[in-house]
Amino acid sequence: MSVTIEGERVDQLLRIIVAAATGDYELRVPLVEEDDDEFLEVELGVNYLLEELALGKAKSDSQRQQLEARAEELAHQQSELVQALSTPVIAVWPGVLALPLVGRVDDERAAQITAVLLERVAAERATHVIIDLTGVGTIAGTTMPALLRMVRAIGLLGAGCLLTGISPAVAQQIVALGAEGGAPVRALAQLSDALAHVLAQKGALRG
Amino acid sequence: MPFFYEEATTPQNRPLLRILARDEVTLADAEGLGARIEVGAPNHRWRILSIVEKGTEYSAGARKYFPSLQPKYGAIAVVVTSPIVRAAINMMMRLTGQAPNLRLFTTEAEGLAWLDELEI
Repeated sequence: MSVTIEGERVDQLLRIIVAAATGDYELRVPLVEEDDDEFLEVELGVNYLLEELALGKAKSDSQRQQLEARAEELAHQQSELVQALSTPVIAVWPGVLALPLVGRVDDERAAQITAVLLERVAAERATHVIIDLTGVGTIAGTTMPALLRMVRAIGLLGAGCLLTGISPAVAQQIVALGAEGGAPVRALAQLSDALAHVLAQKGALRG
Repeated sequence: MPFFYEEATTPQNRPLLRILARDEVTLADAEGLGARIEVGAPNHRWRILSIVEKGTEYSAGARKYFPSLQPKYGAIAVVVTSPIVRAAINMMMRLTGQAPNLRLFTTEAEGLAWLDELEI
């Protein structure tokens, strides 16, 4: 088979193929009724191919958008879950709140804990707050003052604050900050000790 | 509606489905034809004369669907005068592979003569 093709048609086809190679599938080879030869089928075939590529790209874009939306939704849910788990304030007794902290405490988390805890103390008219640090491996250097400020703020709301499960490293941090004297902090070994102490105090108050 | 159907007969009095095609043929249009020639449908395995007007276009969905119709018609003579439309039908025929019961013509008379010659 031998077909004579005008150079302009070949150039046009090549321009469109080059554009498609760079991801532009919107161009089409202009078809002319007078070009009644086998090359017309090639030109039409290229148009069909471009159409398929454009459809595939549209489908892929749509799936990517759905995935991004889903990922964003999951990230939001995860963030909410992490936030809820990072400040698990438990009312262990009427007027007694316990906050078992787990993991690393940085400035952002300390600020979040402070906000949540102060709100709960005020809302529940708590008399005692037990902060259990057994699960806290590290407290960032600049964070300890923030936690101690929280303890003072709890005191200003009229509640007593007890720290339990303090690790040797955290104890050294507190001492180094010289907070022991000024802040109304009472430290006990375990959460159960603090609870027994608070309940005894409450019983004594009633008696 | 790009397909217009008419039940007729060939010059030798055989049942014939005439289809006039124009504008853009979508997948839904192609499926409409498929329903008419499906097993148990009124035009199953009939002779078909399809007159395709200049400017008729086939959507991507229709192009992929048409080859599946091959065993459902007896024979189809496609009358086409536009080189572009002929190229489009040729492309679909390439998808079908061998389709001995489909042929392109430039006049209705040629198409009808071929349909009458065939034993179906």
